[in-house]
Amino acid sequence: MPVPTLARVTGALVLIVGLVAGCDSGAAEPAAPSGATRVFTADNGDITIPVAPKRVVATGYAVPALLEAGAPLVGISTWQRGLPMMSAKDRAAYDRLAKVAGESAAETNYEAIAQAEPDLIVIGVPKPVLADIDLDRLRAIAPVVALGPSLPSAWRDLSRKQADAAGALATFDTVRAAYVDKTKQLAAKYAGVLPKLKFAHLGAYGEVANGNFQREFNGSWGTNVAQDLGANYYGEVKVKGTGSKAVSEYPSIEELPSAFAAADVITYTVSADGSVPKGVRYVLDSELWKGLPAVKAGKIYPLRYTEAATYGSAMATADAADQALAPLLTS
Amino acid sequence: MTTVHAAPARPRSGTRRAWLVVALVVLAAVAVVSVGVGAHAIAPAAVLRALFAPTGTGDDAVVRHIRAPRALLAVGVGAALGVAGVLVQTISRNPLAEPGILGVTTGAGFAITLGSAAGLTATGAGELMLAVAGSVLATVIVHAVGRGSPLRLVLTGVALSAVLSGVSLGTRLLLPDVFDAYRFWAVGSLAGREQSPMLLPLLAIGLALVGAVLLSRQLDAVALGETVARSLGANVVAIRAGALVLITVLAGAATAIAGPILFVGLIVPHLARRVAGGSVPWLVAYAAVLGPILLLVSDVGSRVLLPTGEVPVAFVTAFLGAPVLIWAVRRYGAAPL
Amino acid sequence: MTAVVLRRGRFSVRVERRTLVVTVVALVVIAGLILLGLCHGAVWASPAKVFAALTGGHGESAVVIRQWRLPRVLAAAVFGAALGAAGAIFQGLTRNPLGSPEVIGLDAGAYTGALVALTVLSGTSGQLVTGAVLGGLVAAAVVYLLSRSGGVFGLRLVVVGIAVNAMLTAVNSWIVLRADLEIAIAAVGWSAGSLNGIGWDDVGVPFAVIGVLLALLASRARSAQQADLGREVAIATGVGLDRLRLQLVFIGVGCTATVTAVAGPIAFIALAAPQIGRRLVAAPGVPVLPAALTGAVLLLATDLLAQVLLAPVSLPAGVVSTVVGGIYLIWLLARKVGRT
Repeated sequence: MPVPTLARVTGALVLIVGLVAGCDSGAAEPAAPSGATRVFTADNGDITIPVAPKRVVATGYAVPALLEAGAPLVGISTWQRGLPMMSAKDRAAYDRLAKVAGESAAETNYEAIAQAEPDLIVIGVPKPVLADIDLDRLRAIAPVVALGPSLPSAWRDLSRKQADAAGALATFDTVRAAYVDKTKQLAAKYAGVLPKLKFAHLGAYGEVANGNFQREFNGSWGTNVAQDLGANYYGEVKVKGTGSKAVSEYPSIEELPSAFAAADVITYTVSADGSVPKGVRYVLDSELWKGLPAVKAGKIYPLRYTEAATYGSAMATADAADQALAPLLTS
Repeated sequence: MTTVHAAPARPRSGTRRAWLVVALVVLAAVAVVSVGVGAHAIAPAAVLRALFAPTGTGDDAVVRHIRAPRALLAVGVGAALGVAGVLVQTISRNPLAEPGILGVTTGAGFAITLGSAAGLTATGAGELMLAVAGSVLATVIVHAVGRGSPLRLVLTGVALSAVLSGVSLGTRLLLPDVFDAYRFWAVGSLAGREQSPMLLPLLAIGLALVGAVLLSRQLDAVALGETVARSLGANVVAIRAGALVLITVLAGAATAIAGPILFVGLIVPHLARRVAGGSVPWLVAYAAVLGPILLLVSDVGSRVLLPTGEVPVAFVTAFLGAPVLIWAVRRYGAAPL
Repeated sequence: MTAVVLRRGRFSVRVERRTLVVTVVALVVIAGLILLGLCHGAVWASPAKVFAALTGGHGESAVVIRQWRLPRVLAAAVFGAALGAAGAIFQGLTRNPLGSPEVIGLDAGAYTGALVALTVLSGTSGQLVTGAVLGGLVAAAVVYLLSRSGGVFGLRLVVVGIAVNAMLTAVNSWIVLRADLEIAIAAVGWSAGSLNGIGWDDVGVPFAVIGVLLALLASRARSAQQADLGREVAIATGVGLDRLRLQLVFIGVGCTATVTAVAGPIAFIALAAPQIGRRLVAAPGVPVLPAALTGAVLLLATDLLAQVLLAPVSLPAGVVSTVVGGIYLIWLLARKVGRT
């Protein structure tokens, strides 16, 4: 496989050059007048950013993460997807802050960003989307740190990096500690039950409306928080893709019996308000679903808030999973 | 019949009848294959048992509840799109016209977008109603503005399609949830439709097909041009209005069932014309058989092309139909109507 | 015979006067829209401030006006004119109002190239532009080669174009379907066409290319109009029809590809501007100048509207131009129905 090797070599080179350059600039450049700076490694290279930024603009996935971490935000992009999962305090901040971009990165309002006079811009979009943004123009306003999602479960690392860049690690670490505490307790509570069972998850993200169903394995949206409670989602993707395609797949509904035949327990994704999304409803209503062993045994449980991408919202996910899986403790 | 002299190498009636029988046999064969093929391998004997003597196994459920309804849908949608294509090309006298040109498809897509922004598409029935309402509304507007001439009809259709698709694209770019739902509707597919209420749209398609057959003789006169049609005693305005109603019902119901499958309505009339010449009744008959064949073959392809999951059928029809169209236009030139 | 000639002569005089009026009005509107575009932004700048900035004023707002707003409005005017002219060329060549440059597969091909850059490659801006230009040109070349030999040129081009477009569109929807939501939104946003974020670096080469192409077009305008009147007339007047067609296709494709590379496929202007323009000047055929002017007005106005409509969040200009152009075209068509 020549391409990955080449990519790895190039990556290593970039890293080395970056480190050398970082050392160099650290030694040679005088400290910026507005305050101390440091070199931060992001998707778009090694960026010199303020140690303690005072005015931060955030877009994409960085919006919920930095709201939660209490970063000094002065402008954000809209983030409709995250609204149902925001705490009341974050939601109020979201509504109050100036919007500098819509959901589509191409329509970033550069003048509005300049007007917000940020000293740091954190872009939380997947790497390919960066092509749609005029990074040079943004760099003319303030240092730009691009930190985008890769694997679904990688939000843990991603939100930490985003908070780190924005100088808001303190609050972030408090929230994370609370999450870790909670999931540790829950894992202990379920220790006698969950690890012995084979789990499978029916997802609701992506191509689920066309006679397919989404099967999520370990490390995917629907499964990663339940895993922290001790659940193990058996099996793996038949044809590995990148990103979400590495941990979930979309087989035809005809393959439902063979896919879920060995599952002791099946969890499935439901919306924040508890309603069953259309693609999931289609599977639940099909004749083939009714013949599955786990369905016959009554061991099917809905999971809410599976799209959590911050520790704060994942607390709700963990609580919801606890609620949903509680019957397993008594049976 | 003046029409006989109008088209140059018009095939004889006997030849046309023979080819139609051949096409029907092919259709039956393709339908059987489509029930036997799928992601989950089932032996032919088991397929037959599932159809005629079911015992309630998982394989039976796959054949009876998933594949058989899907084949039936393919036949209905294929016939509807093919015949709608013949009608729209005849009344617009434009061999490039297809049902989508009257705004049927974008009308449906527009209604689906706004509907899902308002949270009305949670059920299959809701989506179906929205698609029908959108396509009817679009055609009514196009007809009201463009009824003067075929050219104006086509232009109005294109303009309205642009407006509706622009508004829905804007909505989708602002609302990611709607975007996510729409991108899966936007590529036509026959998969996963078996739980939606199909009886009503299929019934509507059946009735409209009968209507198309009844109207096809009068359309033959219209195809010669308005002046000739008038001199032959045809009520051009009434015939055109009737054809528009049929196109809306056929294309609207097909789009409601399967989402936009644009190419069938364009390619099938062209294929039919190779055998049927310019006679509208024969064109309708051939389109009603060739449409289902094209869609069934594409649907089988859509199931076997990928190791896991499916390719949407609209993708396959494009790749089957487009080369045929290019070949036909290079071999025969762009056929006049 | 003299009566016929006279009538044709009178006819052409009337057309020219009307064309002149339309041209002047359009130029005034364009100038007004450019000024408005320079004033409008996150912070409103008064016309006096704009003039100060253009004549070398200093300060942050002057930089914003000169470096950010000016290239954008100029791009809207030039790109709109280029698209309108390209649309007029294709509609004249194919004698079909549906014969916009889209038909030759440019936009769909460019979208495919951009999608490959976004989803398969790592998606840098350079790859995006290269992918779009390559995809568009390859698609156009394939359509042209497949429809070249013999037969009715126009109709065959359109049919082959529709076929190739259908395949490319299928590929595009399929890629969007399989992509993660963010990338899918970015791709579809790109496909709508947008002038956001355009700076001087982006427009230098495109302006030069479009300028050369439009000058070339102007030098061919007379023979093009004759060709538009029909094959017989063109042959009688000694126009080398095939060579002229090739030149015109080259100009049209060049204009569209250049715009697409910078702004993405702003599709509907090439279709609507020629139709609106010829109705405004009441001309036979599809004249190029009114189409170009209409295109410039359309893109300038809609780019402004796209920024104002949901401010501070803006829409891609292509979305708004599609809606506005479409509504205006419907209105024109409806008015004609009412009269007859």
